[in-house]
Amino acid sequence: MMDAGRHPNIRLLTNSELVGLEGEAGDFKAQVRRHPRYVSEELCTGCGVCGRNCPVEVLSEFDAGVGKRKAVYVPFPQAVPNIYILDKENCTECGICVEKCPRDAIDLDDPGKDLELKVGSVIVATGFEVFDPTVVKAYGFGLYDNVVTSMQMERLLNASGPTQGHILRPSDGKVPRKIGFVQCVGTRGEAGLQYCSRFCCMNSIKDCMLVKQHAPEIEELKIFYIDIRAAGKGFEEFYQRSLEMPELTYIRGRPSKILEDPQTKDLVVQVEDGEAGKINDFQLDMVVLSSGAVANKTNQKLAEILGIEREETGFFTSGEETGSPLESTKEGIYLCGCASGINDISDSVAQGSGAAAAAEKHLAKLRIEEKKEEIPELDVSGPPRIGVFVCHCGINIAGVLDIDALKKYAETLPDVVFVRDSLFLCSDDGQRRLQDMIKKKKLNRVVAAACTPRTHEPIFRESCARIGLNPYLFEMVNVRDQCSWVHTEEPQEATEKAKDLIRMGVAKARLLEPLYKQSIKIDRKVLVIGGGISGMRAALDLDAQGFQVTLIEKEGKLGGSLNDIHRIYPQDLSASELVETMMQKIKNSKIEVLTEIEITDIKGFIGNFEVFTSKGGLKVGTIVLAIGGELYEPEGDFGYGKFKNVITNLDLERMIRDNQGDIIIDGEKPTTVAFIQCVGSRDLEKNPACSRFCCPTTIKQALELKKRGTNVVVFHRDMRTVGTRAEEHYRKAREMGVRFLKYSPEMKPQVVGEGKASGVELLEPALNRNLTLPVDAVVLACGMIPNEVETGRLQGILKVPRGADGFFMERHAKLGPVETTVEGVFVCGTAQGPKDISDSIAQGSAAAAKVATFICRDTIELEPTTSIVDADMCRGCGKCVRVCEFLAPKLVEKSPGIFVAEINQALCKGCGTCASWCPTGAITAKHFTDRQVESMIETFLTEAV
Amino acid sequence: MAVPEATTDRRGVLVLGGGIAGIQAALDLAASRIPVYLVEKSASIGGRMAQLDKTFPTMDCSI
Repeated sequence: MMDAGRHPNIRLLTNSELVGLEGEAGDFKAQVRRHPRYVSEELCTGCGVCGRNCPVEVLSEFDAGVGKRKAVYVPFPQAVPNIYILDKENCTECGICVEKCPRDAIDLDDPGKDLELKVGSVIVATGFEVFDPTVVKAYGFGLYDNVVTSMQMERLLNASGPTQGHILRPSDGKVPRKIGFVQCVGTRGEAGLQYCSRFCCMNSIKDCMLVKQHAPEIEELKIFYIDIRAAGKGFEEFYQRSLEMPELTYIRGRPSKILEDPQTKDLVVQVEDGEAGKINDFQLDMVVLSSGAVANKTNQKLAEILGIEREETGFFTSGEETGSPLESTKEGIYLCGCASGINDISDSVAQGSGAAAAAEKHLAKLRIEEKKEEIPELDVSGPPRIGVFVCHCGINIAGVLDIDALKKYAETLPDVVFVRDSLFLCSDDGQRRLQDMIKKKKLNRVVAAACTPRTHEPIFRESCARIGLNPYLFEMVNVRDQCSWVHTEEPQEATEKAKDLIRMGVAKARLLEPLYKQSIKIDRKVLVIGGGISGMRAALDLDAQGFQVTLIEKEGKLGGSLNDIHRIYPQDLSASELVETMMQKIKNSKIEVLTEIEITDIKGFIGNFEVFTSKGGLKVGTIVLAIGGELYEPEGDFGYGKFKNVITNLDLERMIRDNQGDIIIDGEKPTTVAFIQCVGSRDLEKNPACSRFCCPTTIKQALELKKRGTNVVVFHRDMRTVGTRAEEHYRKAREMGVRFLKYSPEMKPQVVGEGKASGVELLEPALNRNLTLPVDAVVLACGMIPNEVETGRLQGILKVPRGADGFFMERHAKLGPVETTVEGVFVCGTAQGPKDISDSIAQGSAAAAKVATFICRDTIELEPTTSIVDADMCRGCGKCVRVCEFLAPKLVEKSPGIFVAEINQALCKGCGTCASWCPTGAITAKHFTDRQVESMIETFLTEAV
Repeated sequence: MAVPEATTDRRGVLVLGGGIAGIQAALDLAASRIPVYLVEKSASIGGRMAQLDKTFPTMDCSI
């Protein structure tokens, strides 16, 4: 957020709206209306004097109506831009704010502004609205005080929310002991919405975990659900963890009614127990409605302005039908996030990047020349003058630690000349004050006692750099994760620990030295490994931007797993036609395609990779891993291998692909076919992950069989039909008579028969005995596992880590889904985790966008926090070469028989392992020098408070 | 009456919506040396994700 606010290539137009669009792809003219803010963006400093003095209080939209705000306000403390806005509708025009504003920034007659922008392409990322649950009268939202939405719960849980993170019942402000979560409110068939909102199951599970953290005294948590849809990378594992919470119970069924006791305001949730055939009552203190996502009401108007089409659901129509999920119905206009349907955060991030790649092709020739701003460096010579900034992080830190005590303590430390605290040091305002103080107090070293450097150090370093202070003269002390979060119950001891950490941070800061980034030249060529759908997409998107791409495939033909598939769900699109179209596009492009090729080794680093293959070598600057996954082999499970009429869903798919007419399994046309879901997935021993696409695949195949007059029974654990129209097809399958029977992992169905499978045996809970359903064939829905050989080999060569599930691990589950921790190496499609075709395509585009951010320049800057060797002290023992994970050090023969270690600065991650192993002390880990680290340890041991 | 502002000459990409998807698109474009106009209807960017407390499954802070 902060990055977007301060990037020189991004112009933020908040409180604004598109009112007109003319022209065509590559050359649009956009009319943007900047609604009056009544507070000047140029003058407002976000000081807050106006808000504090405003007499009007109204419900805050940001807090989903559970908190209040003034009529002149910022929506939340970390808002970007941190500029106030005046809400004319609720303003009484008393004039107090106008008078009090120290910068005369408020103008009650602000007319707003109209501007026209030249744009080459448009990305629609307009998101969703939350379904209004007042429509579902039986749940009493709006009537009963203690029925809230999940967004309201989210705000109650938030430390900077209206209750400072305390969960309080709206009716009496008491801490609830029993909370229920009702899933699928407004979705999956209620109130006219057919689809599944995809992320609400996970959100409720997360909220239950957070409730437990915020209110450990909670007695009961109940989730009322139809199917738990933990379908995404790491989601099923997260769900499994929640099953270990003793307070949390999952209750299957959609509540018919919520009742309120008018005196106590306590609630009763009524749910029909379908299996036992009776209605159960649950007494609760508070109920959270998991309202689904719906299309924005403004989508209709926007569709007219943009000239694009919409679906019946109100979301914009995407090219998902033709294998282009990010395209709208008009060239040059792209869709991402929840504009075309419902996506979770990581898919929205991937789609955002993917849309960027698509949009870029209309402007690839118009990239702007970057002028490096020359900021004169501040003079930091002379003795250290340290400034210590203590952040409250809302109440994350200040709620536990004694900030005043920390400030007083910091003032006593050597060379500290200035100390200040801030509510949110990371906010725009906090950063600006930090910069002002550095200049005013002539600080030459800065210590921030705040949150984690993992996410926030870059922000602080950037702020220092912008005013000419070398960013490596900044030191961060994590008093949130390491003090206030882990020692919530012992505030005093936590404060003492924070003092120790601050003392150590100051000791290091006294010895910090300026460091400078180096630039290296990079090769702009790209290698895409894997010619499946996501690899092809990545290659095409990069080619469209004018980059040179080599696409390699180990098989003889492009297409990957699509070659096995008949028709793609839910679009009913022919897989072979899609592959054919993509191959044609590749043929017409400049992409170099190499098939039947194997990689033997890769050497080098970002910008300079040398790739060795069975067909010769090539040099590239970046690599995209699109090697795909594999389907689990069910040998020995459910009679597979023993009975010929037990087949996998892939076997069936091939039969459907090759047969327009009857499907013949083991020599017969089956009358009844049983599908068994979650074979080799959601299995704690074999593979705990959910593969996400198998439920929709089964529905597709069930419909195909049903069309051919075959009866179908599906044995499942939860039907996870997430994704475009998957839920609608599930409904259609039920309407067509496909039967769905739920099983639990403890009571798996058994395939029985002599010589061939003749039935599926399952415990019938209502009768409490085993029933055998006669079947003629069984189809096993096998989950996806990593391509062990290739994934393992590339992990060995490139050092790209793999997750617990065996797939390549992304940089960040939410924010970096297609990046890896190895710079210059990206991942997309099912190499990163099981996913459907649309999501694989979107990730292919996303990887292309990420690659473009590097190769749109000739050079790349290297982090200077690396290790270096003092050649005079090195005796060439080679210890560093052996211990380095990243292959950075290497021994170089300087004169005959004399070896000296050299560390490749582009490969070095600055972890310091070599420096600690070096027996002669020849290696220095910059920014973590022996002197710096020793001074921290020394001050910790000798000057304990 | 709204005041018209002079047209800028840099041709860029118009991103509608300042939520996580729009921000991601804007950042990737900007990093690839393409000018971006990020249009958001509310007073701040951040969208729905800024309203969330933590995100699953890593439980990272949403802001």
